[in-house]
Amino acid sequence: MSYTLRGRLESRLAALLPVVAAACALALAQHRWWPVEAVGLMLGIGLVLDVQAYHRLLPYQPGWAAVPLGLVELALLLLCMRLGGIAAPPAQALALFAGGWLVAQFLGHAGFPLLRLGYAEDGGELGRLGAVSAVAVAVTLAGAGATAYALLPPVVHLSAGVHQGPLVITHREVLVGAPGAIVRGGIVIRAGGVTVKNVSVVGGDDGILVNGVSNTTLDGVSVSGAKLDGIHVRFGTVHIKNCSIDMLGNPYGQGIDVSYTMEYGMNMIDGCTIVGGMDGITTHVSMTDIAHNHVSRTTMRAISMTEMSMGMIDQNEVRDALGVGIWCNDRSVCDVQRNTVVDTRRDPSGDQSRRGIGVLASFQSQAYLWKNELAANPLPSGALVNSEVFSRP
Amino acid sequence: MTVAVVGSGLAGFTAYQTLRRKLDPEEIAVFGTGDDPVAAWRPRAEAIRQREMRSESDGHCLPTSFPGLAFRSVVSRRSMRPLVDTVRDRYHPTVDEFLAHVEELRERSGWERSVRETKIEHVRAVDGGFELDGHGVFRHVLLAPGHPGLNVPDELRSDPRVVHAYEPHEYPPTVTVVGAGLAAATEWLNALAAGSEVVSVRRREPERRPLNVPREYFSRRGLASFHALGPEERGARLHSLLAASYPPGEQFDRPLRRAQREGRFRVESSVNGSRQVICATGFLRGFRHDALLARLVDEYSLDIADEWIVLAPDATVPSLTDETRTLALAGVPAQWAFPAADTLAGAKYVAHGFLRKVQACRTR
Repeated sequence: MSYTLRGRLESRLAALLPVVAAACALALAQHRWWPVEAVGLMLGIGLVLDVQAYHRLLPYQPGWAAVPLGLVELALLLLCMRLGGIAAPPAQALALFAGGWLVAQFLGHAGFPLLRLGYAEDGGELGRLGAVSAVAVAVTLAGAGATAYALLPPVVHLSAGVHQGPLVITHREVLVGAPGAIVRGGIVIRAGGVTVKNVSVVGGDDGILVNGVSNTTLDGVSVSGAKLDGIHVRFGTVHIKNCSIDMLGNPYGQGIDVSYTMEYGMNMIDGCTIVGGMDGITTHVSMTDIAHNHVSRTTMRAISMTEMSMGMIDQNEVRDALGVGIWCNDRSVCDVQRNTVVDTRRDPSGDQSRRGIGVLASFQSQAYLWKNELAANPLPSGALVNSEVFSRP
Repeated sequence: MTVAVVGSGLAGFTAYQTLRRKLDPEEIAVFGTGDDPVAAWRPRAEAIRQREMRSESDGHCLPTSFPGLAFRSVVSRRSMRPLVDTVRDRYHPTVDEFLAHVEELRERSGWERSVRETKIEHVRAVDGGFELDGHGVFRHVLLAPGHPGLNVPDELRSDPRVVHAYEPHEYPPTVTVVGAGLAAATEWLNALAAGSEVVSVRRREPERRPLNVPREYFSRRGLASFHALGPEERGARLHSLLAASYPPGEQFDRPLRRAQREGRFRVESSVNGSRQVICATGFLRGFRHDALLARLVDEYSLDIADEWIVLAPDATVPSLTDETRTLALAGVPAQWAFPAADTLAGAKYVAHGFLRKVQACRTR
């Protein structure tokens, strides 16, 4: 097909209509915006490529070219989604793209030619249908964008200074702390979709308590002086990033404890620094990715994934843990890769399972190790009680 | 009856299929010398032993490009290969598949009910339409007269060894093939396969391209700039686009290389002492060779440029077309509007424009 520029744009817009509809339906079903955002990106990438590349480089586009061009667009879409922070379930995102691609092929080769006699000789131009499609896509995406904007949670600014807590959040909101904003006595989150950003928490039973609510984001928070856990999550989902937790002087509390969230979805703990505490980061019955964290000076384990948990422990730095660096326990499945675990100390109790082990799998668990730096640990890795440590080359 | 097609060959037949989307057979009159749309085309294809069409999946007579002949081949060949090939632009229907497709369409479209076996020799513009040799006045007329005749170079016309490629012939031990298009290339291979020694005589090296003209000239992509050219430039462009060509590919190159190595194929600049000279030199070019068109031009002082009648982009004759009537050309005389007008794609292009005119006419 030799497309005119207008033909390319009209064909793309018209072929995208069913995909936009599917994305809106998916967004409604999932109460998430990623399908609409992804389709918006698909459209943007496609239009830019049409105008800047395809029209100039492809005076004639053979049928087979749809495959490599589709792959290029998919790669760009995934890159843009990553850069734009659009978190989508990979399988669903791929299915949406693949569905859109197939619809476009079907319409381009069969639907449009049947609908419009001169489709091929008009270079893909669709006349009135093209204009209507453009308007429909624009209106739908603009409507979705407006809805998304209207549904954005209110932003609450916490001024600098000490605010007496506990601060209880009962509505969906974005709490943003000014530099120097401190909450004394902890934060309790009781609504879904809450974001807490750049707030320091001092004291409290738990520094930040998330219980029974999902889609919580903790970004740039710091916690110190908590009596129990630094961040305590139960029965919900959470994304914790760039946090700082000081548990020194608290021998029994956990820096971050995410437990009993398996049925609610994935959690993410990324880029946090945790010092002290019994366990630095621990998960029970949860699916969690633990990445890019710095954990040190813990008294039991630096990072533990236990009680039928599963997830990735990736690119973390663990130093000076007492007994065990990374622990995969109790029928858990752990991908342990690209971590640095050094200077793990032998527990003076004499417990053989705590003799300074870099990575330990125990009680019917499976740990898959890849490219970890395990140095200056009395025992680099070990497995106990029907557990296995698999090392991939 | 308001719509007439003059010419019952492939261009007229293809136009008829498009018209049938909106009109009944009784609303269309087709004037021609017979009711077999491939009566002229088939003997030519047989003469050059053509087995495959140059056109691709959409080289058919249906009004829409989908479903193409590749789908039909999937069924008849019981293989998905035609679809895979068409995605790669490698599918070409066989001549038999194409003929079967024409036959099927002919039977189911009501073609025989519309055909009147009459040769129209004079088109006269009258109020609200065109009078066709006393067969009535038609508001919308499509002229699809076909190629005006076979072309044999003047210097060879009296040579008793000469046969045109499109006339029945065999291959003696030494054969000279004049020309450089697809028919010539096919004849090289035919003669070599028959054991002949072949001399190719041509004025220029042939173009190698998959279709008659570059692909962008089959759509508005290339046509928009083509239509924007002035008459002289457009004529020059047409001469360049219509230069002899045949498709690239090993199906031609391999046997020719082998024959060259064996000394059985060579290129020369003039006809030598071969026992047979095959003129694969196509058809007479220009409206002057067609009595109906020449008369039309002379009577109505139509604009001409070089050998073509000047047409609007939709292949209508501007000075004889308005909101109430349409005169359009199809097939080779429509090259001014669509360089590949003598292909099935060209016939469809003209037919689509013609149907738009018919539909837009309030007094249809």
